Amino acid sequence: MNVVFALLLGVCTVNAQDNLAQRDTTKILEEIKVKAKGKKKIKTDMKLAVSVDEFLASSQSISFIKRGAYAWEPLLNNMSSERSSITIDGMHVFGACTDKMDPITSYVETNNLSTVDIKSGQEGNLHGATVAGSIDLQRKSTAFGLDKKVTGSYQTGFEFNNKQHFNLADMSYSGNRFVADGSISFRKAKNYHSGDNKEVKHSQFNKFNSSIGLAYKTGERSALRIDAIYDKAKDVGFPALPMDLWLSRALITSASYKQIFEDNIIQFWDTKVYYNTIEHYMDDTTRPENLVHMDMPGWSTTYGLLSKIALKRGRLTSEVQLNAYDNLSIAEMRMYPQDRSKRTMFAYSWPWITTRFAGLSTSNSLDLSDKSHLTFGGSLGWNYNYSKYVEFNKIFYPDAPQKKNSILPSLHASYHVNVARFDFSVGSGYGHRAPSISESYGYYIYNSFDRYDYIGNPHLKNEISYEINATAGYKSNKMGIQAKVNYFYIQDYIVGRILSMGSPMNYQSVGVKGYTALDHANILNLAISTNYDILPHLHWKGTITYARATDGQRGNLPFIRPLSYQTSLHYMYKRFGIQTSLNGDAVQRDYSPEYGEDKTPAYQIWNASADYVLPIQKVNATLQIGAENILDTYYSTYADWGNIPRMGRNIFTSLKINF
Amino acid sequence: MEKIILFLTVLCCTLSSCTKEKTDYEAEIDTIVPERIEFKEVTNFKSGNYTIRIEALGGQLYKGYNQIRLKIEAPDQPAPSTVTLLPILTDSQGKISSCPHRYEQLYQAEEGYFEGYVVFTEESRNTSHWDLHIGFTAAEQLHSNSQRIQVRPQDNKNLNMTSFTGNDGEQYFIALIAPQKPKVAENNLTAGIYKYNKPKALSSSSTIDPAQFSYSQVEGYTLQLDPRMPEPSMGNHSSPNNKDLVQGTDKLYHGVVNYTMTGNWTLNFILLNHQGRIVKGTVVPNDFTPGVEGIKSELHIDILF
Ligand SMILES: [Cu+2]
Repeated sequence: MNVVFALLLGVCTVNAQDNLAQRDTTKILEEIKVKAKGKKKIKTDMKLAVSVDEFLASSQSISFIKRGAYAWEPLLNNMSSERSSITIDGMHVFGACTDKMDPITSYVETNNLSTVDIKSGQEGNLHGATVAGSIDLQRKSTAFGLDKKVTGSYQTGFEFNNKQHFNLADMSYSGNRFVADGSISFRKAKNYHSGDNKEVKHSQFNKFNSSIGLAYKTGERSALRIDAIYDKAKDVGFPALPMDLWLSRALITSASYKQIFEDNIIQFWDTKVYYNTIEHYMDDTTRPENLVHMDMPGWSTTYGLLSKIALKRGRLTSEVQLNAYDNLSIAEMRMYPQDRSKRTMFAYSWPWITTRFAGLSTSNSLDLSDKSHLTFGGSLGWNYNYSKYVEFNKIFYPDAPQKKNSILPSLHASYHVNVARFDFSVGSGYGHRAPSISESYGYYIYNSFDRYDYIGNPHLKNEISYEINATAGYKSNKMGIQAKVNYFYIQDYIVGRILSMGSPMNYQSVGVKGYTALDHANILNLAISTNYDILPHLHWKGTITYARATDGQRGNLPFIRPLSYQTSLHYMYKRFGIQTSLNGDAVQRDYSPEYGEDKTPAYQIWNASADYVLPIQKVNATLQIGAENILDTYYSTYADWGNIPRMGRNIFTSLKINF
Repeated sequence: MEKIILFLTVLCCTLSSCTKEKTDYEAEIDTIVPERIEFKEVTNFKSGNYTIRIEALGGQLYKGYNQIRLKIEAPDQPAPSTVTLLPILTDSQGKISSCPHRYEQLYQAEEGYFEGYVVFTEESRNTSHWDLHIGFTAAEQLHSNSQRIQVRPQDNKNLNMTSFTGNDGEQYFIALIAPQKPKVAENNLTAGIYKYNKPKALSSSSTIDPAQFSYSQVEGYTLQLDPRMPEPSMGNHSSPNNKDLVQGTDKLYHGVVNYTMTGNWTLNFILLNHQGRIVKGTVVPNDFTPGVEGIKSELHIDILF
């Protein structure tokens, strides 16, 4: 595969040079590519070379359920991943794992992303229905006709705790009529060690990711672009689960056509068709202690269309987007009897579930004055589910319909105002989301957290979210402070409840739970962040977050982050940079035993790193060395599946070269 | 550009092909559960001018419940009436016995055949064999015939049968009739429950006396059902929403069984008489015990699909 890719890059460069000759006036299309340079780079305060998960973790509104060292499940506003809309350039991709081993964020790599766009609540409805918000992973796409034709970067590094080494390279060519972006990356890690220097077995991973994007200018103001990402994870351990991953492969492709309009209300029109397919094969042969050997393969295939028009008239800018997709998700479960000559036992954990969605959404911004503006938007979607083997669902729900339609409306508005050095905003939102396929049609999906087998409920109603949010900020030359708060009142909030019928199928299981809806749930998120420049080259940052979520009957919801804090110092001196940070969670006071949680104690982690920009001409090379969890604290967080311990002291080194 | 696109298309195709094939779930059940839908001729013989054709599903007779069609044909001859059928098993010692069956066949005027059933309690062996004694009246003349037939072992476990002596001292038979091919679903379960009618007086005659071999369908009983997977690793797994079998208008017993996955299942039964007294069967434990083979009721039938 690697050879193929190298070859492919070669082909692109050669062809690109043919086109290089024409040097016409067309710089118009420079802005054709969505993301201008200088956006927030994919790195964190502590680390220059990070994984996508580590990068997302640096956002205040994202926390993670961790089942190992790989493929963390992002929780936005303390809500699980089915409540947020996670997309790659607006494209929907659905994981093929019933055990959530493969959130969409696991199918990209930092060197093919330009930025990650996180929106909270209904503001994130542009790409589809959501409750918690949206995470859009935006790919790199180089503009046409840049002065510097060939750019690229290379990152390599080693992390001592789990002997992880990684190599990431990407290259872009920008011609007047032709643009090519390519990236390739390898990551390989062994088991990590927890704070007491115990090896956490089954925590290794291997990831290969590559991407290519080719754009061709079809006219003065139009361009055609094709993109593809290929991702392969092999032999990935999930220490918190009773199974590991043998192989997971994703192919994510799209073709888009963009037309720019000049001197018109219409700014541009961008239409994209996409196709992605995922295969996911779990493996328990690595766990000889398991009583039952099982095969659990899963597949997910999605076709989609996305068409967006950007409009501007006077003080109003608008985006109108059409989204449509069709997904087929299949998951199988085969159990082997102890006497292998006997017949195996088979069932579908996703009995061939089709999901279709079509929706129109809009997002607008109206400048009321120089100092204030209003953003508002809405969407109306249609969601359709079809269970091919509905007889599986009828076992627990005898009148389960084979087809289900639902309408998903959404509205949001917020008002933003600047007063001197202060800025304020208040907003509100309302929206529906359809139950996920596991929630509706899942069949004996084992949850190793509370040790129940989960049965989907085809009669679930949409979750309806009412939200309010507000921000307040102050900025001066030397300091800034910002506070954000949001509150969600979610009607028909979907949770699992013990069923009085049926009996477990997975041998580790203690019972059967079915999805059902709470009358309502309340979720409150609060974050305060500050920064202060102590000296011109010495910066301090601090963040505190707090969340509280209840089931409406004074019970707590699970996976809600306790009071947490992070404080960091960053010092720059000539070519050197030094940073140190302290972060931790307070004791998990409001845990939820009903959903399998226990009280997680408080912890505090200290990290530090230093970087040095090498004195080399033309290329920009940075060397970094650092350590996470310097004191080798043994800890596990509120969202570590099955209380698996987090990584102990980890010394990391990296080299990053940009040219 | 075209070359690149072509190359990418080829690449996409190779990358998007699956590493492991998806299970063809329905075909997989077919490989292990033979399904017979069509009635075919088992054998035929002549009785005077009449040709008697014996038909059964798939053209074979199996241990367990068999629906039988008799076609008695003769050109320009009076139509036959009062068709009787009696299966007789002769063992190595020459002792004869029978099995549950319908003695007087029902005439299906539209289709033009006589219909009955036989629940063979064992398959034909080298030392023991089955004969079907078929009698009918035509033109006021009694025809009686005996035809040797081959009863094969039941190759579809979903049509298994069991026989037992109840707590009331009577001899009972339970034979599964449907579904022939279960699914991972809610399945309508049909069984026939039969009883041997002990003869009032022992026959001394050397000819076969049907009164000695009288069986009847049990009326008004209840067959309580508790399906479980006996496989040790399944830990006595069961399913929800099952319904006990009660007698329908067709005299057969109907209930509902849910199979949550393919594989070996045990249908644990308790047979209750009209007064609700246990004729046979024991309550099975319902706790989840991974690693331990499920305990079966003393009255049960194993199935497999
Ligand atoms: Cu998985």
